[in-house]
Amino acid sequence: MKQTSRYPMRRVIVAGALLIAFVAVFVVKLVEIQVVRADEYNAEAEQVRSDSRTVYGARGDIVDRNGTVLADSVMRYDITLSPKQAKAREAEDPGQLAKNAADLGAALGIPAAQITAVVEQSLAEDADSDFAYLAKQVDVAAYDRVSALKVPWVYSQEHPGRTYPNGAVAGNLLGWVNDDGEPAGGLEAAQDQCLAGVDGTVTSLHSLKDWVDIPGTERTVKEAQPGGTVQLTIDADLQWEVQRILAARVAEVGAEWGMVTVMNAKTGELLAVADVPTVDPNDPGATDAEDRGSRSFSAPFEPGSTFKALTAASVIDAGQADPTSGVVAPYRITPGNADINDSDYHDDERLTLTGVLIDSSNTGMSQFGERVSDEQRYQDMLDFGLGTESEVGFPAEASGDLNGGPDYWATDDQTKYATMFGQGLTTTAIQVASSYQALANHGVRMPVQLVQGCADADGTVTGKPDQTPREVVSAKAADETTAMLERVYLEGWLADQWNIPGYRVAAKTGTAQVADGQGGYRSEYLVSVSGYAPADDPQYVVSVSIFDAVKMNSSAASAPVFRDVMSQVLKKYRTVPSGAPAPELPASW
Amino acid sequence: MSAVAAQTLPAPLRGAPAEAPARRLRLVPDAVRRRKPRIAYAIIALGAIILVAAAQLVISVAMTQGAYELDSLRVQQTKLERDRQIVAEELDALQSPQNLARNAEELGMVPNTTPVYLRLSDGAVLGQPQAAGSDAADSGPLVPNSLITDVPLVNQPATSENATGGTGAGAPAGNDTQLVPPGALPTPDTH
Repeated sequence: MKQTSRYPMRRVIVAGALLIAFVAVFVVKLVEIQVVRADEYNAEAEQVRSDSRTVYGARGDIVDRNGTVLADSVMRYDITLSPKQAKAREAEDPGQLAKNAADLGAALGIPAAQITAVVEQSLAEDADSDFAYLAKQVDVAAYDRVSALKVPWVYSQEHPGRTYPNGAVAGNLLGWVNDDGEPAGGLEAAQDQCLAGVDGTVTSLHSLKDWVDIPGTERTVKEAQPGGTVQLTIDADLQWEVQRILAARVAEVGAEWGMVTVMNAKTGELLAVADVPTVDPNDPGATDAEDRGSRSFSAPFEPGSTFKALTAASVIDAGQADPTSGVVAPYRITPGNADINDSDYHDDERLTLTGVLIDSSNTGMSQFGERVSDEQRYQDMLDFGLGTESEVGFPAEASGDLNGGPDYWATDDQTKYATMFGQGLTTTAIQVASSYQALANHGVRMPVQLVQGCADADGTVTGKPDQTPREVVSAKAADETTAMLERVYLEGWLADQWNIPGYRVAAKTGTAQVADGQGGYRSEYLVSVSGYAPADDPQYVVSVSIFDAVKMNSSAASAPVFRDVMSQVLKKYRTVPSGAPAPELPASW
Repeated sequence: MSAVAAQTLPAPLRGAPAEAPARRLRLVPDAVRRRKPRIAYAIIALGAIILVAAAQLVISVAMTQGAYELDSLRVQQTKLERDRQIVAEELDALQSPQNLARNAEELGMVPNTTPVYLRLSDGAVLGQPQAAGSDAADSGPLVPNSLITDVPLVNQPATSENATGGTGAGAPAGNDTQLVPPGALPTPDTH
């Protein structure tokens, strides 16, 4: 009694301490598992039990000014196979490889021999090969056909792809996306920051037996974000018609390439930019690599006589002449060290500035051009948007070359005079259209626009283009130039070939040589027509250039294109025909 | 001694309430009342546990059922999305300008480059009317679109339609009537 009751407290304490120590061990372990290494274990557990899948952030669309989709994102499928399994099955069931290959070939539209070749080749390289591509980027219909075959050694994986529903319409502007999803050229590359989506990841737990997701276990690891929509200023229907007209003419006259630019004269928006040869972005491989871009932006050329309109505007703006000022234009003049002559021999002619433009006289234009200082002429060229890339910022866009500017021109009379009638300097087709836009818009140049902006998923539009107008020449100088160009349209040698009944049109032709990139000129010519209509209230600028028209090496090759494109533009936009006839201006004195 | 005292000391304390005066009896009805609720609570607690367990079972079964339903709906959604994409792609190809132009040319239409307008307010004719050229150029190869190579023209029935029409019962004149789609103008023989 005394023994048992003597140390009850000590026993309690010992037992208690043991208990506490015992519990403490568990608590320590518990804290270690639940707190200290919780993340590690969670991750490990997730990995074992959960299934992670990619949620694709679709690449944004490219749409035209009316919302017509030009570039669209679609889901495509890569069909793969396991050569090892195909071989194993063949061993069990001889003949199945040939039969399945025939079925797959029919489903995918490829020869059966190619499929067996893939299997054999993979096995030859690696006897344990478990993966080989059978077909990349097949569409849903083909994927469904392949799935229906239920070939045990054939697999598929999703692979976001790109489709261009309108084919070659604006194909040279759009660029394309290659099989790896990387943008290759054109707007796809230039606007990639807007268009690219961000792929997300979602994990979830699933039943081991049948892979059904366990409810409530879905977890978004990374949110997917779709790309933005790029809206262009291009009108897809007009673009198609312009490409059709140009392509027909390029084929007819046997030209190497051609370009047409249609621009809104009031806003500087590009409504159509056609390049022939065209590329179908659905199948870029069918077109030569050098024809896949847009020459309108990237291939500078000497504009030739279309440039005379700009020099005339500069001269009038400087107050040194008006449309009726006269000069005597001989066949050849030799100011300073220069040697200037006209394209065809003629006797001395008493031409007004209007007459100089109508006859496209180099000697006459030189006598007017020298009335303005080189510095002023150069400044006007810069203001017209020449010598620098346009505001569009198209990939590989050329800046054109003004051949050194006034400092160099002062040392080389030939260049000084040649730049008055569009030689010895280079411009892009876009720059020519843009400078005519300034003439059409009463001397005010608007920045060239190709992209209206980038609209993200919630409709916020970013990247809106600059719309700051810039006065290049006075309204009087521009309008008098327009009046002279109307006389060119009515009295020039192509008058009956580019006539659009009912409308007043201002236009100028040009024939120029193209630099060969090695300091010389190519022997072929680039023939062009630039102009705008209706001349009484200019709305649209059309600029046509055709290179190396072997069957018709003069502006006559491009005149019908100008007529057809311009009349299509006027028809499409319901432009009311002009009322009063063009004002008369004397061509000689 | 001290131990004895310790053992004996509590006894009077325990005995004390028993020896307490009769006024303590007032508490008895309370004690009786207290015992009854204890059984009720036990029943409630037990019932609640059973209920919770049952509810959990039902919910769990329902969720499992829902998971399969969800899964089959997802499969269906994926399939419908694929179908939607197939049809949308087909529609996009059909409404491409190349397809429209091809069909218009096939029906004998030609573009007229000289627009003329009729002003409704005074009936004035604006512009100079001119007949369109009669040469309908084939614009197909000029602006290619690889998506429409397999798309049949409007007056050429699809080969699959032909096949079903041929096997279909009692449609001997089917091929002739299919040349002109219902509601469309017949193709002129001369133009």
